[in-house]
Order: sequence, then C-alpha cells, then structure tokens
Amino acid sequence: MLEVKDIYFHYEKQKQDYRYDFSLGKGEIIAISGVSGAGKSTLLDLIAGFLMPNKGEINLNDQDILSLPPEKRPVSILFQNDNLFEHLSVNKNIALGVLGNENSNENQAAISNALKDVGLENFGNQLASKLSGGQKQRVALARTLLRNRPILLLDEPFTGLDEKTAKDMQALLKKLVKQHKWHAIIVTHNKYDANAMGAKNYVMKNAILQS
Amino acid sequence: MLLNNKRKILANSNRKALGIIIALSIGALIIALFLAILNVANIIPLSAKSTSPDIIHLVRMSTIQALLSTGLSLMVGIMLAWALNRLEFFGRKIIIALFASAIVTPGIVIALGLIDVWGREGIISDFLQIFGIGWDFSIFGLFGILFAHTILNGAFAATILLARLEAIELQKLKIAQSLALPPLKRFLLLDLPTIKNTIPALGAIIFLLAFTSFPIVLMLGGGPSNQTLEVAIYSAVRLSFDLKLAVQLSLVQLVLCLLIIMPAIIFNQDNIRAGISSNHRWQENGFSKFMQITILIVGIFAFMLPIISILLNLFSMEFFALVLRPSFWRATITSLTLGASSAVLTLFIAIIISQAKIALHGKISKALIALPLYVYLIIPALVLSLGFYILARQLQISNSIIAPFVLILGNTLLALPFAVAILAPSLEAINKRYNKLLGSLNLSSLSRWRFVEWPLLGREIGIVLALAFSFSLGDLGIISLFGTNEFTTLPWAMFQASGAYRNNDAGIIGAILLLIIFTVFLVLPVIFRKFSNVRS
Amino acid sequence: MFSKYFLSLIFTLLFFVSFGALAQEKPVLNIYTYDSFAADWGPGPKLKEKFEQNCNCTINLIAASNSISSLRKIQLEGEQTKADILLGIDTSIAAQALETGLFIKHEIDVSDINIPNAWSSDYFVPFDYGYFAFVYNKEKLKNPPTSFADLIKQDIKIIVQDPRSSTPGLGLVLWIKSIYKEQAKNIWSELKPKIVTMTKGWSESYNLFLKGEADMVLSYTTSPAYHKIVENDNRFEFAQFEKGHYLQIEVGAIVKSSKNQALAKQFLVWLISEEAQEIIPTTNWMYPVANIELPKGFMEQAKPKKALLIDEVIVFENSEAWVLEMLDAFK
Repeated sequence: MLEVKDIYFHYEKQKQDYRYDFSLGKGEIIAISGVSGAGKSTLLDLIAGFLMPNKGEINLNDQDILSLPPEKRPVSILFQNDNLFEHLSVNKNIALGVLGNENSNENQAAISNALKDVGLENFGNQLASKLSGGQKQRVALARTLLRNRPILLLDEPFTGLDEKTAKDMQALLKKLVKQHKWHAIIVTHNKYDANAMGAKNYVMKNAILQS
Repeated sequence: MLLNNKRKILANSNRKALGIIIALSIGALIIALFLAILNVANIIPLSAKSTSPDIIHLVRMSTIQALLSTGLSLMVGIMLAWALNRLEFFGRKIIIALFASAIVTPGIVIALGLIDVWGREGIISDFLQIFGIGWDFSIFGLFGILFAHTILNGAFAATILLARLEAIELQKLKIAQSLALPPLKRFLLLDLPTIKNTIPALGAIIFLLAFTSFPIVLMLGGGPSNQTLEVAIYSAVRLSFDLKLAVQLSLVQLVLCLLIIMPAIIFNQDNIRAGISSNHRWQENGFSKFMQITILIVGIFAFMLPIISILLNLFSMEFFALVLRPSFWRATITSLTLGASSAVLTLFIAIIISQAKIALHGKISKALIALPLYVYLIIPALVLSLGFYILARQLQISNSIIAPFVLILGNTLLALPFAVAILAPSLEAINKRYNKLLGSLNLSSLSRWRFVEWPLLGREIGIVLALAFSFSLGDLGIISLFGTNEFTTLPWAMFQASGAYRNNDAGIIGAILLLIIFTVFLVLPVIFRKFSNVRS
Repeated sequence: MFSKYFLSLIFTLLFFVSFGALAQEKPVLNIYTYDSFAADWGPGPKLKEKFEQNCNCTINLIAASNSISSLRKIQLEGEQTKADILLGIDTSIAAQALETGLFIKHEIDVSDINIPNAWSSDYFVPFDYGYFAFVYNKEKLKNPPTSFADLIKQDIKIIVQDPRSSTPGLGLVLWIKSIYKEQAKNIWSELKPKIVTMTKGWSESYNLFLKGEADMVLSYTTSPAYHKIVENDNRFEFAQFEKGHYLQIEVGAIVKSSKNQALAKQFLVWLISEEAQEIIPTTNWMYPVANIELPKGFMEQAKPKKALLIDEVIVFENSEAWVLEMLDAFK
C-alpha cells in the first residue's frame, strides 16, 4: 500500500499550496489529469524525492520513504522523452538499472528477458538513438523491470506516440503492473489513456488532488 | 507558404550577408594594419645590424609551455566545474562570477598577487615560519608560468564548462539520479558527453592565450630560457625597430597558432540545448563529496588568495590621497566610458557574427567567418597598435581624435572571439529549438531578435558586456602608443605609478581595477537576465 | 533600449572630438618624452609650469611608455611629426637617434655642465644622469658584493630586466661588456643561477624586490635616495662596484621639422640652468647636470668612484649582437 498522507507543498516565491492525499494498493494504477501547471508533475517529484514536502507523510507498506534520498527510494520513473542515453546501446542503457557486474551471465540473461517482455528481443546491441519513440519507451520500461522497484512513476509517457503504439504501450503497462504488483502513477492529459489501463482517475484542480 | 519561405530565406540571407561583411572588414583591417607597417618599414632606417633571434628555440619553448598550460587548465577547469555543479553552498554565485572574471583580470596584477602568496616572503612563507618551517619554494621558472596560467585559464574554463553542465536536461538528470548512478558513471555518462564538444574550442582559446602570454612569462619565467615568440616581436619593434622582422615574426606566430587551433575550430560542434539552466542540484555523498569540497577549497584558495592580497591595497594609507587627485578621476572616467562603449560595440558585432555563423551551412564556412576574430587575438597587441598608429598618420587624422576610437575598436576586436564563443552556442540552441516555429511565424530578423533571442539570452548578453567592458578597462597595449597627458586610463596610470617607485599607488589602482571588474561580472549578467525577462 | 546606448556612445565620441579641436593661440611646444617624466609627480608638470611663466607659450608633454617609444613615434611620424623636442632618450640609443637624421644640432653652450666622462654631443643636450647599480636592503644583506666576480661567488639572488624590453636591462649588458669585454658571456653564464627572474620592465623588478623575492635588484644608484627622502626609509643602499658603474645620461634634442626651433632651443637652455635643474633630483631621481647642492638623501652615499660608458656609435653597432650573446648564455 502506497499512502500519500496530507502532503502540502509550495514552491519558493509562490504562495499557493499544492495538496495531495490518496492511497493505492499493489498492482493498481492511478491516472492524474489536469491543466498544465496544475501540479501533476510536482507530485511525481515529491514521491521521487526531487522535492521535499512542507508537511505530510509518504509511506510504502507503512514505512516512511520521505527520509530517503532520491537514489534510495523504491521508485522508477519514466518521462515523455530523455529516458535513455542516446550514445549507449540498448543493453547498456538497461544495464544502468542493475548494480554490480553488468556483464555477468545472470545479468545478461535478465536483460534479454526484460527485452523479451517488452517485445524487443533482438534490439540489445542497437544504439538508443536509432530507435523510434515507442521503442525508446519500451526500452526504458525494460529497465524498470530489471530494477523492479515497487513504485512506478510515469510522466506523460504516451505523448508523442502514435495511436497504435500508445495502445500497445498501455496494454503492456497494464500487464506488467499487475504481474509485478507495482504501484503505478501516470500523469496524463488524456482520459482515454487512463480508462484503457483500467486506472482510477484523479484530477488536479485548484492545487488540490481530487478524485 | 511559398511567400513565407521566401521571407525566411531573406531574413536568413540578410543575417548571413551582414555577418560576412563584418568578418571581411575585420580581415581587411588586419591586412591594412600589416600593410601600413610594411609601408613605413621601407622608409625607416634600420639600426646597424639586424640580427635575427633564434626563432626555433622560441617556438619550441612557447609551444611546450602553451600545451602544458592548456592541458593543466582544462584539467583544473573540469575538476572545478564538476565540484561546483555538485555542491550547493552560500556564496556559490559570487564564486562563479569571480571565476568568470579571471580571463580579463590583468595578468600582471595576478602575477604580483601570486608573489604575495607564494613568494619568498609571501603569506605562506610567513605562515610556515610561525611553526619554524623554512619555505624553500621558488615560484619562478616554467612552474611559475604554468601556475599563473592554470589559475587564470582554469577558472575561466571552469565557468564555461559549468554552464554546459548546468544545461544538462532536467529529465535525464532525474532518471540518472533515480537510477542511482555512481559518481564516476554519472560523470562518464552525463557530464563527459556534454562537455566533450566544448573542449576543443575552449582548449584552442587557452592555447592562444598561453602562447602569446608576455608579461607573466617574463615576470615569472626566471630568465630567457622560458620565453615566447612574443618577446622577440617586442624586441624587434623596440630595440632594433626592425618593423619588417616584427611583421615576419607576427606572421610566423599567426601561421603556427592557426595550424594548431584550426582543427579545433572547424570540428567544434557545440550542440548544447536551449533552455534556462535548471536549479535542480543532485548532490553526491561520501568520498566524491569529500573530493568536491577539497577541490573547491583548494581552487578558491589558489584563486582568491592572490586576489585578496591585491584588494588589501585598498586599505592603504595613500588611498584617499590618490582618490582625491583630479588626474585619477580623469583616468577613471575615461576608462569607464571607453569600457562601456566597447562593451556595446562588442555585443553588437558578436550578435551579428553569431547569427551569421548559425545561418551558414558547413563546418568550413562556419569556421571561416570566425577566423578573423582569432587572427586578431593571435597578433601581438604591440604590432596591432603600431599598425593603428601608422594608419592614423597615413590618413592624416590627429592622434587625440583617433585615440579613443582605436582603443574602443581594438579592445572590441580582442573581446570578440570570447563574446562569440559565449553567444553563438546559446543562440544556435534557440534557433534549433524554435526554427520551425520561427519560420512559420514569418518573423523578421529584428523582431526575431527582439521577441525570441533577446529575452532568452539575457544572462549571456550580460556576460559578454562584462567581458568586453573589462577587456577595454584593462588595456595596456594600445594606450601605450596613444596615451597622452590629456588622455589617460586607469591601467596607464597604474603603469606610470609603478614606473616611478609608487608601488603603493599602483597597488591601489590595481585593486580598484579588480574591484570594478568583479562588480561588473557579478552585476551585469543578473541585471540583464532580469531586464530581458521583464520584456518577454 | 539599444538606441539609447548608441546615442550615449555618439555623445561620448563627440565629446572626445571636441576635446582635440580646442583652439590654441599661443605657440605650443610639443615635447615627446617618457611616461614617468610627464606624470603628475614627475619633473614634467613642474618644468612646464615654471617655463610657461616667462615664455608666453604652452608646453605640451606627450608621453610614451618609455623613451625609446617616444623616439619611435617621431620616426613613424617622420616629416609630419608635431614633436619639437625629444626628451629623455639615453646615450645607448643616441647614435641610433642620430642616424635617423630627424634632429638638428643644438648649438647650445654646454661647457658649464657637469657630467662624468665629459660626455658631449653636437646634437644632444644632457640634462641629467645616473648610474645603473644593484640596490639592496642593508638589514637583510650584510655583505654586499663589490664586483660581479664577488656577486658570483656569494650566495645572492638578484632580479634584472630583459634587455630587449627595458633600458636598465640593456644597461646591464653594456655594463658587463664594458668591464669584461670578450669574457662577458662567461660572466653571464655564471650570473645565470643568481638571477631569480628577468622581467619586462624596471617596475616589475623593483616591485618583486620590495616584496622580498631577491636580495638585490638591478636599478639606479639614486634609488635609495627616493626611499630616504620620500618614505623616510633608510634601509636601502646600492652596492658599490670597484670596477665602476655604467653611466646613463639622459638627453634632449631638437627635431629638424619643428617650426618652433628657437623656442625649443630656449627650453633646452633653460633646462640645464640651475632653476630647472633644482627640480630634477627629487622628481626624476637622477643627478642634475648643473652645479647645485644635492638634497641630503643623495649625499648620504657616495657616487660611484668610476663611471663606465661605451662610445655610443660602438653601442649602436653592437648592442644587438651583445644581447644575443647574453641570451645564448641562458640557453
């Protein structure tokens, strides 16, 4: 259970408080919509640790995560773009998700398994810059598979993808979240995206997260 | 649509044409200066027997020294930029502004500050004496030259590289942080690809500065075994008045430097992204944080101690006596006016050249338009000002009328390569990002500047202005031929004072110069960023 | 906003232009000289003030960074030069200046003036002189050397100037040459380890010396007098070399193309008079050529016993070769 309890946050030089209060269980997805600047991405930054709330708690299975630095939080993130290092191969990009010897047989196997799961079996040695937008997103997803962190944050992951690719991606996401029992939060403009994944809908309005 | 395209092409070609005309004019001016010198070289009787200096020896020494200086400066610059990018602390902005000003602080002033710190009776020696430790270290020799060059150019490199690091895409930074990349991997994957493209051009500029360095090399060099070609050129003008030899040696210097830096200029592809640098700071812990703090403390001490020791001159007893002298105010006002004028002119030309550079296609043509700027930087100031002097005579223009113009123009040309290096990449990034949008909006070149480029470039404009202002403020090359009693500048007053036992006065003026330079570097970028954003 | 900047730029420039165009009625005597001569505290302004009281003329001092540069300016300007007088070059480049043919005989009676070695010239009027010497701090250096050989033997660090960019630097080359002739190169080789550094100009050297970077600095016999008189500081002396000190004589000359030759001559005559010479010691820190009483600070240490001077024509012909010889010793 991921609980975001009564979080208050305001940017320096801004008076307005952003407020968030919700929870979600394992294998659940919530989708957050709202106009730009409403504070959708701010929530992701708070959970990922790039911002610290002024007030409130964030717990995962009753354990506080606010005290952890971003790199230690049980979180994977996916953005609209810039998820990959374009000058590295697909394999190398995914290997960044594991610690230790990336060339060990065990890790090699894990990487190719993850690639298989996202449907990119033979792409391991390609340069990331050679991939299409949808393929890039799937490689990034493969990396989160390898890391297998309980919380998955997605910031407009379908924007810029064509309709078919976006649909495939949504189905894939839905399957993986269920399978790995992740807590997934998706920021999106598009309500249809949310429905397609069977997500609970939230909206940011007047700086408050509402269902 | 067709019309739109046509207009856009027109706007682009306007920019191109203007830039090319200015670049050609600068090239023509340099040629005219050389020709003017050669012209009189024929009618002036040579001194008895002109003996040519050992050029090969000088070139060898210059090259070794310049290569070492460049390597060390880049290393120090990368380390400092790395530390500054990771750490957040009080006064960070001030430290960055101080480092940025290093490139224009008069070398001789820094060299004297270094002596105050590292010398036989310097601060460190005094400090060690308290513990009864002898100080048997000599700052003179190749080591001293490298030390001074590394401090000045390393700080400069650090500011340029830091700007690149701060422009790394925010999302990429967040992904990497969330992946918990270890420090070394972070540097190799995020930082290195970002600064890799900046290093050739930066290295080229540092190489030029080190190769043509003169007062620092003579002062700290420890004797004629460590010297540059620049000394031989100086000697040809001063001692034997062999102007032909001076021109020849200048051309040797020109060809050599171009051979070394041309590849760097041509293959320089600075593809940074547009955008305001992020405030997101990802700090590291443990050993790497310890290293960053150590590097920064050492860097700040090495750079700041000499400067503080110079600034202490402001508390000298003679301060008020000096400041009350009318000649001091005359020099100050002249210096400030010249500095402001050449700052504006530099900005104006730098924008045009940068825009033209972006509008041009192909590496070679992009490099060619920047070429005259580098050429001007390579030729010794003494030769250039001599050329100006002779040219003014030939055009029958009185010295007192032309002097301020020459000073403004000369120092503008000196500041231009740096100004373009600062402005062009950011301008290019903006153009890349908004190219289609700008094209579809059918904006004229001017409104494109007014509504898009100017609001986004506030900080860079501030830096360019500060840089050009300071270059002109510190000029000792051109003023030495054009100065008169009515027309004096602060550095000239400093030079006069130190030439007449008045080291205190010279020290105070040096401190005032530094203070003005720092203030300008601290204030202008901030003001212009605010100012330009207000209008957007 | 740019238009505002450009307007102010234009106004600035107009301001300078109008400066140059100020109308002048009285005859103007243009004197080309070096910077510290023309500086506020130098002899220039005081000489100008006194001379202008009686001449119904205006003196215009035009300073270059050193005396050689002022000669170069006149050479570059050739026939069109505004210069009436060149003031401050020394004997080491006098022959070079003569060679240019830009100066005329002064026809001034200089029999009364008092300079070592009875130096005289039809073209150049000597107006002050000094000797090159090594200056030291007597609290730190107890046994100053008495010759170059002595200096080489002792554990002493010195700072000198580059002869290619500095007058005293060239002076040292001539000084060593005048004593050691063919042996000069050996002396330089042996001096090499003693030399901390060789700066571009005198001022950097002297600054480094005052900061304590060396035991002695190449300067003038009159340097200690400055510290005594202006700063009340008695720590500095110059090392008396038994074989003598090289002489520097500063001279003035009338420019051939001058339209005010009579006035120029009048100035030079006055310059060697007692009234003008009184100004020289404590402003230019050189010895006067008239028989006037020297200030106390000058008297406390004896002048060098022997003055060395190489004939200027020989200097003219050989100085560059001698400089190269010295540079060779440093390779």
